[in-house]
Amino acid sequence: MSTVLAAAAGEMATGEKVVFWILGPIALIGALGMVLARNAVHSALWLVLTMLSLGVFYVMQAGPFIGMVQIIVYTGAIMMLFLFVLMLVGRDASDSLIETLRGQRVAAVALGLGFAGLVCTGVYRALRDTPPAGLEQANENGNVQGIASLLFTKYVFAFEVTSALLITAAVGAMLLAHVERRKEDKRDQAARMRERFAPGNYPGPKAGPGVYATSDSVATPAMLPDGTSADRSISRILPTRELTSSEKTPKGTER
Amino acid sequence: MSDLQLPHINYAALAPMLILFGAACAGILIEAFVPRERRYPVQLGLSLAGVVAAGVAVITQAGTRTITAGGAIAVDGPTVFLQGAILALGLVALLFVGERSLEAGGPFVAQAALIAGSEPDRRQVVRPGATEVYPLMLFAIGGMELFVAANDLLTMFVALEVFSLPLYLMCALARRRRLLSQEAALKYFLLGSYSSGFFLFGIALIYGFAGRVDFAGIHAAALGSDRSNALLYGGLALLSIGLLFKAAAAPFHVWTPDVYQGAPTPVTGFMAACTKVAAFGALLRVLYVAFDRVSWDYRPVLGVVAILTMLVGAVFAVTQTDLKRLLAYSSIANAGYLLVGVLAMSKDGLSSSMFYLVAYGFTVLAAFGTLTLVRDADGEANHLSRWAGLGRRSPVFAAAFTFLLLAFAGIPLTSGFTSKFAVFAAALDDGQTWLVVAGVITSMVLAFPYLRVVVMMWLSEPAESTPTVSIPGVLTSTGLAIGVAATLVLGLVPAPLLDLSTKAAEFVR
Amino acid sequence: MSYLDSVWLLIAIPLVSAGVLLVLGRRADRWGHWLGCASVGVAFVLGLSYFITLRGQDDRSHSVDLYQYMPVGGLKVDVGLLFDPLSAVFVLLITGVGFLIHVYAVGYMAGDGGRRRFFGYFNLFVAAMLLLVLGNNYVMLYVGWEGVGVASYLLIAFWYTRPSAATAGKKAFVMNRVGDAALVIAIFLMFATLGSTQYADVFAGVGRLGEGTLLALGLLLLLGACGKSGQFPLQAWLPDAMEGPTPVSALIHAATMVTAGVYLIARSNPIFNANSTAQTFVVAVGALTLLIGCIIGCAKDDIKRVLAWSTVSQIGYMFLGVGLGGGAYALAIIHLLAHGFFKAGLFLGAGSVMHAMHDQTDIRRFGGLWRYMPITYGTFLVAWLAIIGLPPLSGYFTKEPIIVAAFEREGWTAWLFGWAALLGAAITAFYMTRLFWLTFHGPKRWTDDIEHPHESPPVMTVPLVLLAVGSVAAGGLMVSALSVTDWLTPVLGEHAEREAVMPHGVITALSIVFTVLGGALAWALFRNGTALVEQPAGPVVTAARKNLYTDAFNEAVFEKPGIYLTRALVYLDSKGIDGLVNALAATVGGGSGRLRRLQTGFVRSYATSILTGALLVVAAFLAVNYGWLS
Repeated sequence: MSTVLAAAAGEMATGEKVVFWILGPIALIGALGMVLARNAVHSALWLVLTMLSLGVFYVMQAGPFIGMVQIIVYTGAIMMLFLFVLMLVGRDASDSLIETLRGQRVAAVALGLGFAGLVCTGVYRALRDTPPAGLEQANENGNVQGIASLLFTKYVFAFEVTSALLITAAVGAMLLAHVERRKEDKRDQAARMRERFAPGNYPGPKAGPGVYATSDSVATPAMLPDGTSADRSISRILPTRELTSSEKTPKGTER
Repeated sequence: MSDLQLPHINYAALAPMLILFGAACAGILIEAFVPRERRYPVQLGLSLAGVVAAGVAVITQAGTRTITAGGAIAVDGPTVFLQGAILALGLVALLFVGERSLEAGGPFVAQAALIAGSEPDRRQVVRPGATEVYPLMLFAIGGMELFVAANDLLTMFVALEVFSLPLYLMCALARRRRLLSQEAALKYFLLGSYSSGFFLFGIALIYGFAGRVDFAGIHAAALGSDRSNALLYGGLALLSIGLLFKAAAAPFHVWTPDVYQGAPTPVTGFMAACTKVAAFGALLRVLYVAFDRVSWDYRPVLGVVAILTMLVGAVFAVTQTDLKRLLAYSSIANAGYLLVGVLAMSKDGLSSSMFYLVAYGFTVLAAFGTLTLVRDADGEANHLSRWAGLGRRSPVFAAAFTFLLLAFAGIPLTSGFTSKFAVFAAALDDGQTWLVVAGVITSMVLAFPYLRVVVMMWLSEPAESTPTVSIPGVLTSTGLAIGVAATLVLGLVPAPLLDLSTKAAEFVR
Repeated sequence: MSYLDSVWLLIAIPLVSAGVLLVLGRRADRWGHWLGCASVGVAFVLGLSYFITLRGQDDRSHSVDLYQYMPVGGLKVDVGLLFDPLSAVFVLLITGVGFLIHVYAVGYMAGDGGRRRFFGYFNLFVAAMLLLVLGNNYVMLYVGWEGVGVASYLLIAFWYTRPSAATAGKKAFVMNRVGDAALVIAIFLMFATLGSTQYADVFAGVGRLGEGTLLALGLLLLLGACGKSGQFPLQAWLPDAMEGPTPVSALIHAATMVTAGVYLIARSNPIFNANSTAQTFVVAVGALTLLIGCIIGCAKDDIKRVLAWSTVSQIGYMFLGVGLGGGAYALAIIHLLAHGFFKAGLFLGAGSVMHAMHDQTDIRRFGGLWRYMPITYGTFLVAWLAIIGLPPLSGYFTKEPIIVAAFEREGWTAWLFGWAALLGAAITAFYMTRLFWLTFHGPKRWTDDIEHPHESPPVMTVPLVLLAVGSVAAGGLMVSALSVTDWLTPVLGEHAEREAVMPHGVITALSIVFTVLGGALAWALFRNGTALVEQPAGPVVTAARKNLYTDAFNEAVFEKPGIYLTRALVYLDSKGIDGLVNALAATVGGGSGRLRRLQTGFVRSYATSILTGALLVVAAFLAVNYGWLS
């Protein structure tokens, strides 16, 4: 009886095989893309791809609950939150990607391939002749029920303790990221408006920097109608660029 | 659908962990509702009370041998002993963490997110530090308690994360040299997650082999299973990587020096003492309960790891010039000595390793505690050259530190000697002569950096820039007194604790 | 349960008191010294009660096993105490004389800000010394031995701000290390050959040892004893140790600690009895040192240095005694006890004089003090007569039998050692009379700042008087009424009467005549005082002033090679240790630079390192699994 069951379970359905061979490479590509992408947003999107593929795998392997959780929580919630944060902070590709450690990349790639090869060979050799077992029993009362009964019997303590993990994570996020503002540093909208229109402040938009035929540098001040340069038109931290006399002289067609 | 059989839960056996987690949650609520100026005494009192109460709960469990909570928790001799050890060491660490007289506001920063050196950051120099540290400490201690009691790999993994996460956070909270501290925390976090990945992968392979993750099941499956042993060995290899990372064994030790140096010194002491107990407690349980049948196969591999660890710790310690890094490498070497005890694979090996953990824990706590006292205007002065002539300036302090260093070096009449001796004797009895030879040789190499510090303190002329030794507050002095006294007592009268550890040295399966 | 089981209290009480004094810090400043005295006083009373209990027992030895030190593995060191006649008399000496000196120190150190710290160290010393004499194995003896060494080092360097005190402390420390190393090797030798260090096991196993092992053991123990007791060739630290406060000199460097070497040899008597060569070495060291000590003592002008060299010389007598073997062990112990009284009295008297003379120690600057400090004068007088050995004071009863015993050896060595002892007695009388006369009699040669010397307060004079009483009575009582010789028989063996090369009466007469002659010569030379500065002198006196060139000897034999050794070590340290690191590094990764480069500080390289480890560990496990290795 059990051998029959095992044999039956050992047969992988054709559909499952097809899905695996399509999504497996995609998941791998997603993972590689995440590592290799220069842009953080791209990385996140590659990761979403991998996670979606994994979610499908789970569902295919008779684990609908974990598959859905993977898609809803990880790809749906967490990765989207991640993307939001990236967008809010501003995507910045300016991080130097030049490797300063000699041989680091080569070593990392070689070791990674070596480790993957080793573990894959080991697992493959170990599982080549091994029939899968136990799926029927695990899903006897339905997948969700099976997980629930484990969570509330065998792993009830671990499950409860996970709450400590979440509390710690929340506290940690606040502790490391939260900045309290002093009362006197807080300014409401009315105060900001008042400040803006206060005497001595120029409420209108600033003049742009000067644009000339020979120089359109942001460090070149714009010229006011009376011929003087407008200091306000360039950023305060830039040194004002002195114009050469040839640049200063009006250029026209009347010559 | 069959009825769900809810597991019987022995609340008395779980009480230490429940008390700690409860106190930690209460601490979080205190952060929310108690006025800021009163939080420090309340939090400190609550956490001390929590640890003491948990200690009482542990003591009442002496002699218990049970598996509870659906097979997830094993309460037996080693559990009780190690939980007691973690609580005792954690209590001393809490005393150092709670010290606020050495530096205005304590060693922790109030708002870590402020840009270091900016105007608001300069304003917070005198503000009291974050009191969130106390609940975090309690979470970490609770996680460690669970880690040494976990009876299946899943619970063990959750416990690993529960005690690691607060540690990552606390590492980032140094008041002085904050960028260094945050860098250390990030490194610890990244590498910790990395090693957790290995651990998890190992669990998967073991599950593939045994079809279960509880230790008794793995033990039974190791006897005869229709699955390939490659899964068992591969799984064990990956599991041990995760555990050896926490234990700071080479080549998984790389994080240790940077993190020990960057973290606030009280937290470093806590990590060096309690994390080591937890990591080795779990390693002992995994190896002795689940994998004892294959001990002949993994012993050579882990033996090489042990020797490498001792060598790396000893050799690198020789060239260190920063005392925190020196102690970090010393703690790596000590992980190697502990592995020697673990690999003895006998009752003696178990009991002597547990003894070693307690003895080393107290010494290293006191050593890091003394580091917090030597300060100049920029905070702690940990560079070796700054310690020149401290023996002239403050003989009592220097004498205490010298004593601790001698204990590290394993001089007789200190706990360092008795614990090393116990571990080596157990390994010799079990025929692991090669490990003991390596241990003795590296101990001799390791004595050199310790003695260099001693010579520096006593025989060098004090320089103009020699920092002063602050007068410790009540908390620090109590902690130091306990640490030094334990080092002395365990060196003079080791028998009672050795007896206790021998009596406790029996796992339940 | 016997009453004697609580003998550990003797060690615990001073130890706890020391702990309290050192831990409480300034909070104990006001009453700390009284606690220090009380703890030693209580220990004395307890010791007396134990002594009486022991006297009442048939089996005059009580062993207490406290606990087993390490139950792991093959090493078995039991922590136990042994209270037998030998340790009993030492306990009484240490606590009794110790108590008097503690009381004296209350007055002596009254003006010193560090008095509490001083009493803390002092109590620590007493505890360590009691541990030394009460332990029932060599390891415990060694622990006490190191303990008194540390306490002595701390107390010599008590005024550590004075460079000379710090140097003297260091000198004592280093010279003691030489002896201690020998003792450690001896203990290891016992472990290796007998498997135990318990006195009972070792002494029972002496018969099993080879001749060479026994000789090595004996010589190592002797070297250890020489280090602690200031015997040739390790004598130079003892006079320098006088940089410490005077009560320290009295208790540690005269009455108790320096006699630890004598205790060690007396305790190990079965080892020495079994090897006559080792015994001869002990006798030779004793005879040589007693002559060196008293000759140098004649040439010194510092009151404490004279007394220190006198201590060296008197301990030489004790070594002579323990080396002679047989009944002379007991004689040496009796002389040790009597010496404890009169030498402590002399030192405390010297302290009292220094107290009066604004810490002046040069005897050329004293004179005529008898009128100003009558009590000090009286007690010093008694102690002086006791040390030179005039009947019926105690020195006569204890020193004279040793001289007689020296004449009882066989062959020509009897003449050699006997005459050395006699000559020593004469020179002792000479330098002690010189010291006494120049200090208390003759014209005043004070420095100008002293107008009116005063007697010390009662807290200092009462101990002096008690010690003087002891100096008078102790010797006679111990020899006759208390018969300490018989009391010590269970430990040290029977006193066998042997034929001396001269009749006893002749030897006794000769020693008295020599003593009187020596004293009279000194009186004749110094009754009118002496020059205020050092006078040019002949080669003998110059040599004596320069410590008989023993320092030069030490320098040539020990120090110079030591310096070269240190230089070599420093060279090794700079080249060798780094070289070692380099070599180790080279074997691991090719050059220490590359090894250190592994710790780059970059998290990605750490991850690489972890991955490498993971790869190797997994590969190794899989290799084990697939049997690739086999």
